[in-house]
Amino acid sequence: MNHDTTSLLPPELLVQLERLELVSRKIFRGRMKGERRGRRKGQSVEFADFRNYVPGDDLRFIDWNLYARLDRLFLKMYLEEEDLHFYSLVDASSSMDFGEPTKLMYAKQLAAALGYIGLCRADRVKVETLGQGRAPVLRGRASLWRMIEQLETIQPGENVGLQQGVKDFCLRNSGQGILVLITDLMDKQGYESALRYLLTSRFDIYVIHVLSPTEIDPDVTGDLRLIDSEDTDVAEITVSRPLLKRYQQTLNAFIEGAREFCGRRSISYILANTEMPVSDLVTSYLRKRGLVR
Amino acid sequence: MNFLDVFTRTFRTLPGWQWLVLFAIPPLIILLYFLKLKRRPLEVPSTYLWHRTIEDLHVNSLWQKLRQNLLMYLQLLIVLLAILACLNPTWQGGQLSQDRYIFLVDTSASMSSTDVDPTRLAVAKKRLVTAIDQLKPDSAAMIVSFSDRAIVEQPFTTNRRLLKRRVRAIQPTQQSTDLDEALRVAAGLANPGRTASDETDVAAADALPATLAIYSDGRFRNPAQFTMGNLNPVYVPIGNADAENVGIVSFNIDSSPERPDKLQAFGRVQNFGSTSQEVVVRLTTLDPEPRFWDAAELKLPAGAVGGVEFVIDAIDSGEVRLELDHRDALSSDNTAYAAVNDRRRAKVLLLTPGNDAMNVVLTTSFIRELADVRIEDVNFLDSYDYREVANAADLVIYDQCQPDEMPLTNTYFLGALPPDESWIADTAVQLPQIIDTDQSHPLMRFVEMGDVMWIVDAQPIEVPRGGTILIDSHVGPLLVIAPRRGYEDLVQAFPIMTSDDAGNRFANTDWTIRVSFPVFMGNVLTYLAENSLQSDANVTSPGDVVELDVSHNVKQITVRAPGADEFVLKRDTDDTFAFHHTNELGVYQVLASEDGGVEQRFAVNLFDDVESNIGPADMVITQYEDIAARRVLETKPIKIWKYLLGLGLVMLVAEWYVYNRRVYI
Repeated sequence: MNHDTTSLLPPELLVQLERLELVSRKIFRGRMKGERRGRRKGQSVEFADFRNYVPGDDLRFIDWNLYARLDRLFLKMYLEEEDLHFYSLVDASSSMDFGEPTKLMYAKQLAAALGYIGLCRADRVKVETLGQGRAPVLRGRASLWRMIEQLETIQPGENVGLQQGVKDFCLRNSGQGILVLITDLMDKQGYESALRYLLTSRFDIYVIHVLSPTEIDPDVTGDLRLIDSEDTDVAEITVSRPLLKRYQQTLNAFIEGAREFCGRRSISYILANTEMPVSDLVTSYLRKRGLVR
Repeated sequence: MNFLDVFTRTFRTLPGWQWLVLFAIPPLIILLYFLKLKRRPLEVPSTYLWHRTIEDLHVNSLWQKLRQNLLMYLQLLIVLLAILACLNPTWQGGQLSQDRYIFLVDTSASMSSTDVDPTRLAVAKKRLVTAIDQLKPDSAAMIVSFSDRAIVEQPFTTNRRLLKRRVRAIQPTQQSTDLDEALRVAAGLANPGRTASDETDVAAADALPATLAIYSDGRFRNPAQFTMGNLNPVYVPIGNADAENVGIVSFNIDSSPERPDKLQAFGRVQNFGSTSQEVVVRLTTLDPEPRFWDAAELKLPAGAVGGVEFVIDAIDSGEVRLELDHRDALSSDNTAYAAVNDRRRAKVLLLTPGNDAMNVVLTTSFIRELADVRIEDVNFLDSYDYREVANAADLVIYDQCQPDEMPLTNTYFLGALPPDESWIADTAVQLPQIIDTDQSHPLMRFVEMGDVMWIVDAQPIEVPRGGTILIDSHVGPLLVIAPRRGYEDLVQAFPIMTSDDAGNRFANTDWTIRVSFPVFMGNVLTYLAENSLQSDANVTSPGDVVELDVSHNVKQITVRAPGADEFVLKRDTDDTFAFHHTNELGVYQVLASEDGGVEQRFAVNLFDDVESNIGPADMVITQYEDIAARRVLETKPIKIWKYLLGLGLVMLVAEWYVYNRRVYI
């Protein structure tokens, strides 16, 4: 395991992650046989049901014992074990390049951790960046280095709008599987339309809202000209106690608004402060929220 | 004062270039502030939330803008305060400028007018208290209240509490106004040694100039013969110029000449206002029972005088009231009072060796109606009863005789002199020629002496001090009247009858056979004997001294005021009773007899057209200068640059605080 892998996923975290499994609230049809039970009945060892034989069915699945007893042909059906599509969609806009560690770094760690869980369970893992092109589908534990390598290449500055990025993603990917959108939701056009786009597909959507401590409790004083990192928009403020109080209220309203928006649409909203270690978030917090088990 | 004057006066505190520097500071601050306000750039992930935050705050943007530039405003405020301080601004009306003040407060009847709420005097007192509050700490003030007399309520003091207490204690009076006395009282310290006319006379004390503030409605007769000298007079008028007043200016009761069983009441009513008024005048009597007699309606144009006349049944004694059924600013002149007294027959004692003419005259029916005459021989002077009888009489006539001492009553000497050094007789003459009579004197009314042809023996008299010559002759006065303490002595320089050595009596003059003699005797009895208070003669004004002539030989009497206050009077040194407490309007009762019965009545009325004319005067006119009205006293402006600089310092501290702890604003 190279140095980059260590920086994104420390060995001790890898050990913890290996025991976890991604959970989807929806059951999807995988493309390849995986390690999870699908709803689709097929070729497997676990019996599911019988059905009447119709011409053309595979004769191998006829239950001859039943034919002997009942003189009728029945087909034995088995539950098929399927793989899971897991998508990590990372916001790599300039606004993510803030905080210590940066929100982007945090997002990458999170994507790596969740991706590794999927790889361990032979799920189809795909890590994409908003606004970037197609990314390879990874499968199997051996693909970890590729995933890490891919994550390392993600650099801040992909200042595509949230909506546009999500739209592109949805056009490229079929709407099945788990989608984890890791973003700070700081889009002046609003995040609502982007999330609505996601809803049109059949993803099991998780939104991890990453905020740095400097955003949650800004440590600023004096007369400031705030420059937007993405569009160089300027906001002139004179820091005062009412202003900070009002900022807190605005931030809380923003978070609550996002939480409510997601809650109403069966989107899991998870607020992540970059102060919280990724290991804690994944092993404890996300577990409670039901993304992993 | 034109604009340039104002400008130069305003900016004279500093040289021009310094003003330029000073005025350059505020623009500089604004400039520097905006230069400085190159806000520190700070890159943030997104201004999304900040914009929303600022938008929320823009809802009350004025305060936000103010707060955003709070430091600049504070700095500008400090500089402006400094500029203002350099202008040396002053606060007008803060402090009275002079060191000495004499406050004259008018307490006369017109100051009870209610044209200002509650009364003029109350308003004057309130203004005076305000003025006292504005005194400099080391200023001394003196308070004099004045009506027809001046009362020093408080001599010079710097004790403001004492001054205010004295002011609040000032009470209104119903008296007329005499500014003269008040001015003289006030001028005592300011113009010492005024009485000395000699240029070389050294003043007893240094003159202490003072401001003389007159709080009055200006309704008084203008003072004459008074120079302000070191007094700086200020007249503070009290009252509304458009105050309306209708008042009774005279009222008297007289017996009806045609019908002896009736009394005539005459009243005069004047409208002192500027609009026409309709008033109802009512006449009532109060004794023994209150009784309304009659009413009359008067239509009075502005400034007009109207008269009313009522005829009522004659009453022996009692109180008669004339009332105006009218509401105006001054109520005290809306009621007039008159007293009707018992017509007491006068007591006359005649001591004569024998005087047929006198006997005849004094026994006529006219005289007998007026008086009880007791005729005694001159030897009665030596009798035991003489003193008591003489003192009880209203008039003692000494015909050619002289008592050892003068009685306590009026006297009439014929052919003799009172036993007093002031009366001196010249040498005896014969046949003096009458050259003049004083027809204006009541004693000589209708007495025509032109037909008196001869007076045989006469001894002209030297007129004593205060005496009046009634009949003068070419050799000297023949009839003189002179006051003696509370009484009057009439001395005639010639007897009516004389006698020769053989005791034969014959006439000394032909006056006794002329018409003028009984007329004169009638005058003597009317004037000297019947001079008790009568209803038609009482024009006592509030504050006047009333000399009461009580026939009884009593040592003390009681006077009951209209307000039921009772005053016990003792005989004065001149054996009269002088009553001073005529402050109330109304009828006073004199209780002389031991059973408490009312002996006499006398009425006190305002009847003062100066007081009733209540519109405040525009100015006080004295002989040498006119004092224009001023609403307030001249005050020394308080310099407030110190306070402005202090405020600037506070602002500086505030700015420092804001700058260092700005997050907490």
